Amino acid sequence: MATVQLKNIKKVYPYISGEQKKSKKKDDQPQKKINLQITDEGVVAVQQFSLDIADKEFIVLVGPSGCGKSTTLRMVAGLEEITDGELLIDGKLVNDIPPKDRDIAMVFQNYALYPHMTVYENMAFSLKLRHVPKAEIDKKVREAAEILDITQYLNRKPKALSGGQRQRVAIGRAIVRAPKVMLMDEPLSNLDAKLRNEMRAEIIKLRKRIDTTFIYVTHDQTEAMTLGDRIVIMKDGYIQQIGTPQEVFNHPANLFVAGFIGMPVMNFFDAKLVREGSKYFVEVGGYRQELSPDKEERLLNHDVQSQEITLGVRPEHTDVNDEGVAARVDVAEMMGSSVHLHVNAEGHDVIIIVPTVDMKGNYEMGDTVHFSFDGKVAHVFSKETEKNLEF
Amino acid sequence: MSPELRRRETVAGYLFLLPSLIFFVGFVVIPMVMCVVTSFFDATMDLNTPDKFIWFDNYIELWQDPVFLKGLTNTLIIVLVSVPFTCIFSLWVASAIYKMREGLLSFFRIVFYLPVVTGSVAVTVVWKWMYNNYYGIFNYVLKNTGIISKNINWLGNPQYALWCIILILLTTSVGQPIVLYVSALSNVDNSLVEAAEVDGATNTQVFWRIKWPQIMPTTLYILIITTINSFQCFALIQLLTSGGPNYATETVMYYIYYTAFKLYRFGYGNAMGVILAIFIGILSAVQFRLAREK
Repeated sequence: MATVQLKNIKKVYPYISGEQKKSKKKDDQPQKKINLQITDEGVVAVQQFSLDIADKEFIVLVGPSGCGKSTTLRMVAGLEEITDGELLIDGKLVNDIPPKDRDIAMVFQNYALYPHMTVYENMAFSLKLRHVPKAEIDKKVREAAEILDITQYLNRKPKALSGGQRQRVAIGRAIVRAPKVMLMDEPLSNLDAKLRNEMRAEIIKLRKRIDTTFIYVTHDQTEAMTLGDRIVIMKDGYIQQIGTPQEVFNHPANLFVAGFIGMPVMNFFDAKLVREGSKYFVEVGGYRQELSPDKEERLLNHDVQSQEITLGVRPEHTDVNDEGVAARVDVAEMMGSSVHLHVNAEGHDVIIIVPTVDMKGNYEMGDTVHFSFDGKVAHVFSKETEKNLEF
Repeated sequence: MSPELRRRETVAGYLFLLPSLIFFVGFVVIPMVMCVVTSFFDATMDLNTPDKFIWFDNYIELWQDPVFLKGLTNTLIIVLVSVPFTCIFSLWVASAIYKMREGLLSFFRIVFYLPVVTGSVAVTVVWKWMYNNYYGIFNYVLKNTGIISKNINWLGNPQYALWCIILILLTTSVGQPIVLYVSALSNVDNSLVEAAEVDGATNTQVFWRIKWPQIMPTTLYILIITTINSFQCFALIQLLTSGGPNYATETVMYYIYYTAFKLYRFGYGNAMGVILAIFIGILSAVQFRLAREK
């Protein structure tokens, strides 16, 4: 159990000699290639990363491939050198401390179980290296195996286990040491959907039992939302937003976060924000909606003026009714409890979730529907900066 | 699959196998069987005299033949020195170079592999010059540095001759194991190494507890191949010393050649071949067993 502080962390992968010449263009502007910033120093994977993680907190780093989340985790583990900034575990600067002395444990994406050792030996390995007495090793391994329900596999080699069982062993190997910080690098991404759901629930239960600080990396926003006390959303090596799952869902800081968090993804429209005194309205396709008082207050605090905006409304926050924005139905997907209506409105593809109980009839391709939304669920983003104007 | 289709596929499969099968049976299986059979005969090249079946006389004679025993001793010395040295040295070199960037790695691979791809005759001739009594580089360097006061006849002195042969054998033996070890070490899953580091392992512990078991199959292959090559050391002896001086560099392989093709005692030579094969088989089996247990 420990606090973890990351202060203005930066990671640059320097060029291997000769590589710079090839990748550098005539102009000296930094290039951008598949989410990577390429500068004179090298490829910048993470920058300006500052985060204070409280003792026993469960932090999830989430973002698309190449956003720097795994690199950040590996820097905490000591597997990657930190180019700049400070990393403190329990208040102690650990930038130059090797992984073995950081008292951390890590679960790898591909499990990284030692194939020549049995499950028992895999779990006991770290304790053996620390010269823990045999009886104690045995007790701890069996306790961890009991928690993870893998006691019956202790004498098997990893190759004789299924993906889910291997994942449990990998977690067992990590928890057996009771580390100060538990690091997990996309631990569920190699499992099928059903097993992933089961293991996600297992991790929630496990977290309550072992009660330590967790840093969890995933690209799956559902995992992030369900597991994290706080979520760190990353893109192109930068933190986009830090907040609780509810905060980032209800108040996305920018267009990227708004589009990344939530499933199905948020609908975006070209709209107009109109200020009338202390009141704010959004106008889209002839539909006008006043924003909620709390949103108005925040916009007022920033003295936001009338302007063209990108309006974001989540599919589950749109209502089909007789008035509102007109849209043409493309596809209606029956999901059981609801219907996902794929419509075209104001030149954008939009998804509307209609609860089955509220449905008045079937939707056919080409039908015209109207939808509206409440002022408290409308998110207004600057066209210029893509930032949420409330922030 | 229907039985007819399966039958047709089986026939086609065997037809594809046939050329190599004929080659294998004609040039490997039959000579091996002939070798074992003739070892029980007093076989010579004399076509006028029929070969006489002499039971185990050849095998009994072997163990009373001082030249064979000397050759066997020398062969075992070569094996016992070159096999561990080749494995340890090539593992050491491979560990040092496998993480180097591509250009540098290729350079070292070429340096160590060059003696392997160079013809053994060419290599031996170069070494013969280096060992030369009068103007060889060894005598030149050792004399100029004051280590020796007068020239040494490296290949003519029973005290040094075998070790000179072993030195050449080592330089030509390490190339392939180094390349194999570089490849094996590069293939060790890096996440295992990282997991061990996070688990608290030092670099030495990572090597012996994680990487070493992962490269064990390669080690086993290298052990067996080096053992076989060492047992079969022939060309060097033939080109440099012909087993001399005073049988100091006599090996079983060279003695087989000498007995069969100089003395025309094929039965006796083949008996030695059978014994050599048994030795190689036993040693390889032991190595295989030990490695598998590990």
